Amino acid sequence: MDFTISEELKSVQQLAAQILGDFTEVDKLKAVEAQEERFDPALWQALAEAGLLGLDIEEAHGGMGMGFFSLTTLCEEVGRCVAPVPVVPVLVGAAGVLRRFGTDAQKDQWLPGIANGSHRVSSALEEYGNENPQAPAATAQKEDGGYAISGTKVCVVGASSATRVLLSAKNDEELLVALIDPQAAGVTLNPQLVTSGETRFELVLDNVQVPAGDIVATGGAAREAMNWAQQATQTALAATAVGLSDKMMRITGSYTSEREQFDRAIATFQAVSHRVADCYIDVECLRLVTQQAASLIDQGRPAGDAVTMAKIWCGDVAHRVSQAAQHCHGGTGVDRDYPLFRYCLMARQIELEAGNSARMTGLLGEQIAAEYLSATG
Amino acid sequence: MNIELTPQQKALQQEVRDYMKTVMTPELLEEMKNDELKEGGGPEFRKQYARMGADGWIGLSWSKELGGKEMSHLEQYIFTDEVVRSGFAYPFLTTEAVTPVIAANANAEVREEVVGGVKQGKVVIAIGYSEPSAGTDLASLKTRAVKDGDDWIINGQKMWTSLANYADYVWLAARTDPDASKKHKGLTMFLVPTDYEGFSVTPVHTLGVRTNATYYNDVRLPDKYRVGEVNAGWKLITGQLNIERLSLFTHGQVDSLFVDTCKWAAETDAPGGGKVIEQPWVQHNLARVKSGLEVVKLICWKQAWAMDQGPLDMADASMAKVYSSEFFVELYRLLLEVLGSAGTIAAHSPGAVLKGRIEFRWRVGSILTFGGGANEIQRDIIAMAGLWMPRTR
Repeated sequence: MDFTISEELKSVQQLAAQILGDFTEVDKLKAVEAQEERFDPALWQALAEAGLLGLDIEEAHGGMGMGFFSLTTLCEEVGRCVAPVPVVPVLVGAAGVLRRFGTDAQKDQWLPGIANGSHRVSSALEEYGNENPQAPAATAQKEDGGYAISGTKVCVVGASSATRVLLSAKNDEELLVALIDPQAAGVTLNPQLVTSGETRFELVLDNVQVPAGDIVATGGAAREAMNWAQQATQTALAATAVGLSDKMMRITGSYTSEREQFDRAIATFQAVSHRVADCYIDVECLRLVTQQAASLIDQGRPAGDAVTMAKIWCGDVAHRVSQAAQHCHGGTGVDRDYPLFRYCLMARQIELEAGNSARMTGLLGEQIAAEYLSATG
Repeated sequence: MNIELTPQQKALQQEVRDYMKTVMTPELLEEMKNDELKEGGGPEFRKQYARMGADGWIGLSWSKELGGKEMSHLEQYIFTDEVVRSGFAYPFLTTEAVTPVIAANANAEVREEVVGGVKQGKVVIAIGYSEPSAGTDLASLKTRAVKDGDDWIINGQKMWTSLANYADYVWLAARTDPDASKKHKGLTMFLVPTDYEGFSVTPVHTLGVRTNATYYNDVRLPDKYRVGEVNAGWKLITGQLNIERLSLFTHGQVDSLFVDTCKWAAETDAPGGGKVIEQPWVQHNLARVKSGLEVVKLICWKQAWAMDQGPLDMADASMAKVYSSEFFVELYRLLLEVLGSAGTIAAHSPGAVLKGRIEFRWRVGSILTFGGGANEIQRDIIAMAGLWMPRTR
């Protein structure tokens, strides 16, 4: 039992906060958001040079080999600055899976470039009406030298600029995980504008030829890989939500302490200060369940229920804190010239993706029932 | 960062759990059916409390000088959690909150008498803070202590003096300077032996347990029973409030209700076929309980761990109190909904589900959000100490 953040991890956190802070001043964000993709290549390169893209990549592949927990620390800082960098789909959903489940050749081919920022591999874990990458509707047909994959993935981050996209498909009953070249014949990318303000992509695959070298895993290994990808992605999103919510709460605490109505700071009304105090409680709850899930994944321990609970809290807290923050700001909270709106929209995005609170609560309930029914036989 | 109990900590947990089963004797369970003795005070309670003292379980966190084992707060929490889970009316406020303050501030003779008695499981201390017109605004209390030669003469009334019907002492806050510049600066702490002349008790029956009003009518108290400096009592009161809160909201007591409800729902037939737990709405309630309960566990662990690192952060202590108290009330409801109408049948009535344990907690649970510091005050503290917001008015 130890909640200590190691000195090494504190340095990572400080370094990340400094770099992300420098690159996310309002004018810089506005410039990035005027582009087609909400992505800042200069910031990505700065993170690479500081070693932060390789936190969870082994030293042999150009990383720092510090493990998954350190990566969630980076995610939290990205949330705190609502920074335009795809850390979750690239570093967790793709690099995290390749590191643990990829072939040696794939690790050699992709991980060093992800760590040094020269290329990005994204991940596509969701389909329409299906957030479970272990049960995709996309299909794979075995062919000479590889597979032909067909299907549709949704809301894929950075698909147009990624070198590869990691996704799953089914070959009859067998699951497989593959790397798709988004420029390959048979791939169509349709831009999708989502709540966060990002342009993401519908990724339509029509008989796309995937060489054997780009198959990451099949069968049991593929199921394990997609289980890990889902749990790690959900946990990393929860960590991002910790940073987002903590910042929204602090912006609101400061704003209400300065904003005067009826000749007094509105924070001196209990109705206002208590709403912000409730955010404080919510953020600490989310932090605790997220740290638990991240720590279990980091140690390779069973994390299923802990992750499910973290994502439930993530959805609830992202929702409540973003609503309270905007409410306490009044019109300022929805003004695009004031920074708060970015946090709120990103929080709402994370609230609903990769398993929302209602679905995860249903899932947890099924797990509880299965556990106690089997115990009573 | 490693949020799991070590094998040694798990072993301690199991050891306490096993030991407490021997404390909860059939005689004690029978004795506790009497509402007057539910919170302790009966002969079997006294016997088992003294046995815990003799077996060395009281004062684990105290210094070796006081006869303690200097266990970490985390280990102390593991002990507390299991004792509360067992249902034994262990007097935590006596052992964890008040006695360390007495040990640090009382004169040698009284320290020996009181701390030694607690260590042996022979002494229980009731808390005399609240008054009819001093609740959340505790510093406005009116009970007076006036110096008379070497003694103090005490007059006044206290409310909600739980355990005073069988306690050996009342840990009493009294006003010694009515003209102090600020009202909390004129208070002094005393120990009042409950067999002294002028002390009396009347019962107050609440929704679940008996508590008391206590009266102090010209109680003549030797100065040795004053604890700490004259007019310096406020610090002694506030210094242990966080510890008090930590023993109120432990994980094991509500976790056992959740586990028992899950077992009941997996064994009990649903009206339309299958088991109760197979119904989606039941699963939904149980999942909400589990995800909320997980945070109670983590808060308790983190607070106990944090107390081993240094003083507890004020905002975090208040956060723990607000979250836990409001979640407990919600949890009782969610679990009772699973049990259905029969969930309202009280303990010892025919047909009571899970011995009426959840019914009882649900009925008395409304105390949680205002007891131990009203949640409004806790939210004020969070806004000020955690977010640096200005004081509300």
